[in-house]
Amino acid sequence: MTTALPIIAVWLGSWGLNAWLSRFDTRLTRVLVALIFGASLIVLWEMTVRAYDVPAVILPAPSQIAASFAENARTLWIDFVQTILKGALSGWLIGAAAAICTAIAIDRSPFLQRGLLPIGNFVAALPIVGIAPILVMWFGFDWQSKAAVVVVMVFFPILVNTIAGLAATDALQRDLIATWSAGYWQSLWKLRLPAALPFIFNGLKISTTLALIGAIVAEFFGSPTRGMGFRISTAVGQLDMPLVWAEIVVAALAGTAFYGIVALIEARLTFWHPSQRK
Amino acid sequence: MKYLLTGLVAGLMPAASFAADDVTLQLKWVTQAQFAGYYVALDKGFYEAQDLNVTIQPGGPDIAPPQVMAGGGADVMVDWLPSALAAREKGLPLVNIAQPFKSSGMMLTCRKDSGVAGPDDFKGKVLGVWFGGNEYPFLSWMSTLGLSTEGGAEGVEVLKQGFNVDPLLQEQAACISTMTYNEYWQIIDAGMTPEELITFKYEDEGVATLEDGLYVMEENLDDPAFVDKMARFVKASMEGWKYAEENPDEAAMIVLDNDETGAQTEEHQKRMAAEVAKLTAGSDGALDPADFDRTVEILMAGGSDPVISETPEGAWSHVVTDIALTE
Repeated sequence: MTTALPIIAVWLGSWGLNAWLSRFDTRLTRVLVALIFGASLIVLWEMTVRAYDVPAVILPAPSQIAASFAENARTLWIDFVQTILKGALSGWLIGAAAAICTAIAIDRSPFLQRGLLPIGNFVAALPIVGIAPILVMWFGFDWQSKAAVVVVMVFFPILVNTIAGLAATDALQRDLIATWSAGYWQSLWKLRLPAALPFIFNGLKISTTLALIGAIVAEFFGSPTRGMGFRISTAVGQLDMPLVWAEIVVAALAGTAFYGIVALIEARLTFWHPSQRK
Repeated sequence: MKYLLTGLVAGLMPAASFAADDVTLQLKWVTQAQFAGYYVALDKGFYEAQDLNVTIQPGGPDIAPPQVMAGGGADVMVDWLPSALAAREKGLPLVNIAQPFKSSGMMLTCRKDSGVAGPDDFKGKVLGVWFGGNEYPFLSWMSTLGLSTEGGAEGVEVLKQGFNVDPLLQEQAACISTMTYNEYWQIIDAGMTPEELITFKYEDEGVATLEDGLYVMEENLDDPAFVDKMARFVKASMEGWKYAEENPDEAAMIVLDNDETGAQTEEHQKRMAAEVAKLTAGSDGALDPADFDRTVEILMAGGSDPVISETPEGAWSHVVTDIALTE
């Protein structure tokens, strides 16, 4: 009980502070409340692990993770480049481009609509653990096979969202642009694609996290000796849990940044949409 | 009165079913003939005869036995010495209490058409290695050869091998890690012939490290009741191992009966049981300190990046086998 007392005190203290701060609704307090909440979680974690002597192989303390992060910064950077930049980002870009082009092709031709959409649906249902080893066989061990897994994973959400987006204009708008004698491509470029942007970005945002998961998990099925998935699976075998958690921190930061950048581009491009009104 | 009741109960039913001690064993890998001895001991009632109620937990690609031990998920585990010593250095006090495997079954199997004829030809080649605690023997071997594992013309390119032999079949790697009792035969079953292959046994290269041994957490050895339980467990397990050595085919069938995944085939398991019998031959269960010292020496020879950085103290104990083998 005595070991638990300071932990409870910190918890109640930070709660009380936040409850008091939340009475003032200013920009500063809003940021402060979130910061205090996050910081208190980390402090409580550190205190609990130390007070109860939790072994590092079960749950390392945040300080150990931070130390491992600093110590292995170079390794983490190499893994980040291998998995996020080469595997996830390239796969995401290829997958997104392919999905948007496919959506336009489907929109252009009812014939393709009947054929391609079911195939897209079928691909979306493939389990990653099933396709990853096969793609490793086809594309080799390096990042190319990871990018291929990511392409398969992100293709469908973007495709479905883009198709829905292309149907987002109403007949009145399409009639109007037709009276100005716009052809198919003109009306697509000037009216229907811009109108579809909120939908497309929805698909792009959903698939950022999918891309990261795909690239990391695909590395479990054979990889060169670098990459986040490789490091996580091997460090677990070596009981180097602080390193595993350091990789998880990198993945979380990268995922947040990736999503944030896409959301930022969306805000710039779809400033006219009601959801962007401040 | 209590004794009278105990006597009565013992008279009424077989002793084994009376308050048997529970033991949970964590295997290093999936249910297969590599662990035949334990399944035979379970199936033939050797454990029961020692008043033990044993649960065998299969491992798998995503299971690191030391982590299971750390989490209290098992009393005793099967693991390789390098992995156990590395875990010990990371602050998980594992102790070897018995060593059913006398020799190592690990080898590197290469395609002859890749141009590999001897260890001197590894330079610049791609070699497949298992990770998850199994990479240590390989890394030690490469450092004794003086080869960097970072790739390049003067080193070897390492790829993390999944748990299949595809990289060799598809020529993505010149050599892959194999066990005498398992992956080597998977390559043969996939259609390659022994003539197309060249194998380097770690035993022959002088870099063999001790494989499947039994490990417990150090603090448990201070408890006489636990030591007694483990002594009975090791005794029964070794009975199982010797039986499996004598009757590999029967042992393979017992393993198949216990394989809940249904992934194993009879032919493969019978071969495995026969190969594993060669590795358990010559071990009565007690660890030979000379083997231990040799393993440590190989691991310490890790050059710039040794597997363990200091000579381990107290990483093995004869306290269990001394009891198990004298009764």
